[in-house]
Amino acid sequence: MTLPLMKTPRSVDIEITNGCNLRCTYCSHFTSPGDVGKDLPLDEWRRFFAELKRAAVMNVTLSGGEPFYRKDLRDIIASIVENRMRFSILTNGTLIDPEIASFLAATGRCDSVQVSIDGATQATHDSFRGKGNFVRALNGIRTLQQFDVPVAVRVTIHRKNVHELDQIAHLLLEEMGLSSFSTNAASYMGLSRINVAETQLTVAERSLAMETLVRLAEEYPNRISATAGPLAEATTWAEMKEASREGRPPTQGGGFLTGCGGPFQNIAVRADGAYVPCSQLGQMVLGRINQDDLCDIWQNHKVLWEFRNRRLIPLSSFDFCKGCPYINYCTGNCPALAYNLTGEVNHPSPDACLRLFEQQGGRLPPAERLRDL
Amino acid sequence: MDEYINTKMTANPLIVLREEFDDWAILFNPDTGDTYALNPLGVFIWKRLDGTQTVSEITEAIRTSAENVPDEVGKEVEDFLRDIVRLGLASGEKPSS
Repeated sequence: MTLPLMKTPRSVDIEITNGCNLRCTYCSHFTSPGDVGKDLPLDEWRRFFAELKRAAVMNVTLSGGEPFYRKDLRDIIASIVENRMRFSILTNGTLIDPEIASFLAATGRCDSVQVSIDGATQATHDSFRGKGNFVRALNGIRTLQQFDVPVAVRVTIHRKNVHELDQIAHLLLEEMGLSSFSTNAASYMGLSRINVAETQLTVAERSLAMETLVRLAEEYPNRISATAGPLAEATTWAEMKEASREGRPPTQGGGFLTGCGGPFQNIAVRADGAYVPCSQLGQMVLGRINQDDLCDIWQNHKVLWEFRNRRLIPLSSFDFCKGCPYINYCTGNCPALAYNLTGEVNHPSPDACLRLFEQQGGRLPPAERLRDL
Repeated sequence: MDEYINTKMTANPLIVLREEFDDWAILFNPDTGDTYALNPLGVFIWKRLDGTQTVSEITEAIRTSAENVPDEVGKEVEDFLRDIVRLGLASGEKPSS
């Protein structure tokens, strides 16, 4: 069976630098396979962006490390713009000044700058991100707002801020005047693997986070979102429970490892120029930019096809899933998280297992509260 | 109408033609982020908007390149071109009188 594939990726995720001014306790980058210790020079990126233009790639997302840590970031962005693409940036927000914000606005091509805010107070945010960085990040957001650069905020939920979610929502939506923010949770990746006890939610805390976020999402309609973490799990798992209880037929993609659509839309590049399927799967090197042809890798690379074809692997083939009442509605979730937890990419992620969550005493918010979110 | 069929059409050079599945594509405006779906006929036409071919010549190219082309294809081509000109994706140079 051949799965339909676009001729080229629509977007490319680029770790533009390995450097960062911070060392956040749960950073997914450092100590990960993406932590490559060197950056490609500007000329290499310029050549690569010209190739992306030929491939009609529409967007690039710049992450790191910390993108604003690169002294030549303006030249990098200028080359992206010159090659007819738009861009987004993922940042800790602490290095944003009026000069760079003005430059970003002037390009007219910036889809968003996503700043991480993890607390409503300096004490909470800085506990994992370092002293002074709460104020710097908020100043970064205000500077972006001042220049009308689209700002997105991501709140990573962990053990020290899970009791502060009301205050965080108030800070971002009321005091800072943001239209919305998104949430996830500290995952078993990068430095977070070393700092599990400090960073990763217990089952009780995860249940609390779900309950709080569902309530906040009701209070602030369409202003709090999630594609991963407690809020996303609450909605997905509630649907799975209901489907199982009513004995519905399998959902689309349910019962197979379909949890990740990334390799059908995107490809990623490490700071050293290695192609990888995803920034979180830095060990799966597919080739090198400016040495290997992007279209050839995208269309023909054996490892990338194996990764795409995980969608054809039934969950019933895993002992882990045997007897699970939710198997027909489950997609196995994130392959990178599965890899970090089990050593296998082709495995459902235990972190995303509803049955396990319930066995460990986890509680979901009532289903009727989740239907309209 | 007769004047329009002699118009030479040029694609906006900023617009990206992104061919995806089979012969379908999207046009992407990087300045606005807007995208527009193109069916295979739209892709065929778009690739001929180089400023040298008239609307009439593009229509004729369709007739000679495909089988069972309906009689009203000329109107469909004109409607398509008027739409993409209105959207700023292409421009036309009318013949000098």
